[in-house]
Amino acid sequence: METTRRDFVRGAALGGAALAMGFPAVRRRAWAAEPIKIGLPTVLSGSNAQYGVQVKRACELFGKEINAKGGVLGRPLEFIYEDTGADPATAVRKAQKLVEKDGVKFLSGTILSSEALAVSAKCPEWKVILMSTINGAGALTAKSYNRYFFRINTSGPMGARALALYLAESPMKRFFGLGSDYAWGRDSVASFSKQITDAKKEVVGKDYPPVGTKDFASYIAKIKQSRAEGVYLALPGQDSTIFFKQALQFGLPREVKPLLEILELENMKALGEPMEGAIGSSRYPFTVDTPKNRDFVKRFHQMHGVYPDMFDGETYEGMEWLSQVIQKAGTADDVEKVIAAWEDSSYEGLEGPFFMRKCDHQAVQPGFVVQAVKDPKYPHLIPKILVSYPGELVTPKCRTEEFA
Amino acid sequence: MSVPFVIEQLLNAAALSALLFLVSVGLSLVFGILRIVNFAHGVFYMLGAYLGFTMVTLSGSFWLSLVAAPLLVGFLGAALESSTLRFIYRRPPSYQLLLTFGLALILEEAVRILYGPTAKPVDPPLPLQGSVQLLGAVYPRYRLFLIALGVVVAFFFWLFIRRTRAGLVLRAVAQNAEMAGCLGADVQRVRTLVFGLACALAGLGGVAAAPMVTAYLGMGISVIVDAFVVVVIGGLGSIGGSMAGSLIVGAAQTWGGYYISEAAMAIIYGVMGAILIFRPWGLFGEEE
Repeated sequence: METTRRDFVRGAALGGAALAMGFPAVRRRAWAAEPIKIGLPTVLSGSNAQYGVQVKRACELFGKEINAKGGVLGRPLEFIYEDTGADPATAVRKAQKLVEKDGVKFLSGTILSSEALAVSAKCPEWKVILMSTINGAGALTAKSYNRYFFRINTSGPMGARALALYLAESPMKRFFGLGSDYAWGRDSVASFSKQITDAKKEVVGKDYPPVGTKDFASYIAKIKQSRAEGVYLALPGQDSTIFFKQALQFGLPREVKPLLEILELENMKALGEPMEGAIGSSRYPFTVDTPKNRDFVKRFHQMHGVYPDMFDGETYEGMEWLSQVIQKAGTADDVEKVIAAWEDSSYEGLEGPFFMRKCDHQAVQPGFVVQAVKDPKYPHLIPKILVSYPGELVTPKCRTEEFA
Repeated sequence: MSVPFVIEQLLNAAALSALLFLVSVGLSLVFGILRIVNFAHGVFYMLGAYLGFTMVTLSGSFWLSLVAAPLLVGFLGAALESSTLRFIYRRPPSYQLLLTFGLALILEEAVRILYGPTAKPVDPPLPLQGSVQLLGAVYPRYRLFLIALGVVVAFFFWLFIRRTRAGLVLRAVAQNAEMAGCLGADVQRVRTLVFGLACALAGLGGVAAAPMVTAYLGMGISVIVDAFVVVVIGGLGSIGGSMAGSLIVGAAQTWGGYYISEAAMAIIYGVMGAILIFRPWGLFGEEE
């Protein structure tokens, strides 16, 4: 029988679809030992893909280094990526696939706090660990805490705390809070308001634009009308870029000083010089001057040709810490033992000492306030560290979003 | 509420409406003539922004890219119509949805691979940077330009449809493609050209939006949702409808965003819901 063109096309299309679906995006290596799999339900498409790229970059570097040294417990690390499209329901579905089909015991790489809250809630049932290296919502280690969730990164309230401590010394008195309308944005604004009021300053307005807002004009008008001296911004990457672009056109920064909950390289690259002088907190500024970090930045730049952004650094730290904990526990299969080994353990991070609290699984770590500055050594603006606070000062009381 | 503030908010609403119009008019046109709901429309808007970025970087001229980028996007659209869509007009609508959705995914991925995930900045040309005093309000020049661009495009587009021979053929095909074909109109060519024109308009919207929002992944998806709301409110296939819909959505987002930002989106969908219930063919659409 002769194959018609139509049959051929149909067959080829089906084959292509099967190829695309059948093989997860992993590189297999010829190891004798069974690999330790880490599942990453992250965002690889749409405007939050910039964060998924950071997760991938960090894992690629760490994976290459640890596997060259013989892996963990003699087993190689294997990273399995899934695209959640920044949707909590999809994140849960993809995480479930990773747990049930791929048999992972460790999840990480969730981008939005709303995704992390959804996935974390399922972890006790699945008996797997979710390690956050990005998610900021305070609730994750407070109201919504469960013992399968660990947070390596600085949380939203911790960033707000560092900024509030910094602002307590400044002559500015009146502030406006603008946060994206989801867990992290609302949480951060609430936390900032509380702390800045405690510092005897005034919050003259708050607002919550939806995620993905294209036109911030009416919010900018509102901020201007409030006669605030500073505006606290908790907007995720692309929203923050758009807000800045428009605020500059309206001349807002001349009247109201912008203060960012997270001041990222991504924003500085996307906006260039107009961003110069902006102040914000940073969870990991790549300019931090420790021997370990200097070396990391060099290796990272060698591999990827760019300087590490906030989540490159924090994800790398998470993966390294997790590997050390697995090594210490002596098992990558008994999740309970890994949890016990992690609790109350210490780790030397890129920017200083980390400590994993047993009571709420929040990593105590230094907090930074940084400013975007020009430096002829770099092709873009860089975060200059204005002040760093020790972990005890910027980490909230156990299982709360309150500070001592 | 002071006068300058009201003026500023009215201008904000007008600028946003202008942008929405540029995107939604093409969507509406394609539906009116090709009877296709084009999911890929937002991606052509995104392509316009990214091509605009490339051209501004290479040539240094925003004005050149404002003309050339939409033309390129238009050619690409026409090429895609004649290589893919052409073959499935007779199939059930679900085929067309799947095809245009697939095209959207492919093009978006292509952009991500080519440009990377970091947003690309586009600056307004020098004469449009900064702001002007306008009846007491300080207003960015670029947004005034957007309003003007929207009005000019709407005017010429209306002239084209209502006052030229090509526009006449277009309307004939929209009304009854078979009859128009019998009377000598080359329906297939009209469809290709219309699809190209619609994509070019989306591309124009993209270049024009870039100095306001930068060029970024996902900008297509975010605009297409609003554009659908605009055409549902205004009526699919009607240019006047796109105009009215854009104004309503622009105003609702701007004023709603100011007074009740949490419910700003809900208001628009509420309006859309009401229209679907009481006037399903839209404000300016024709009852079928």
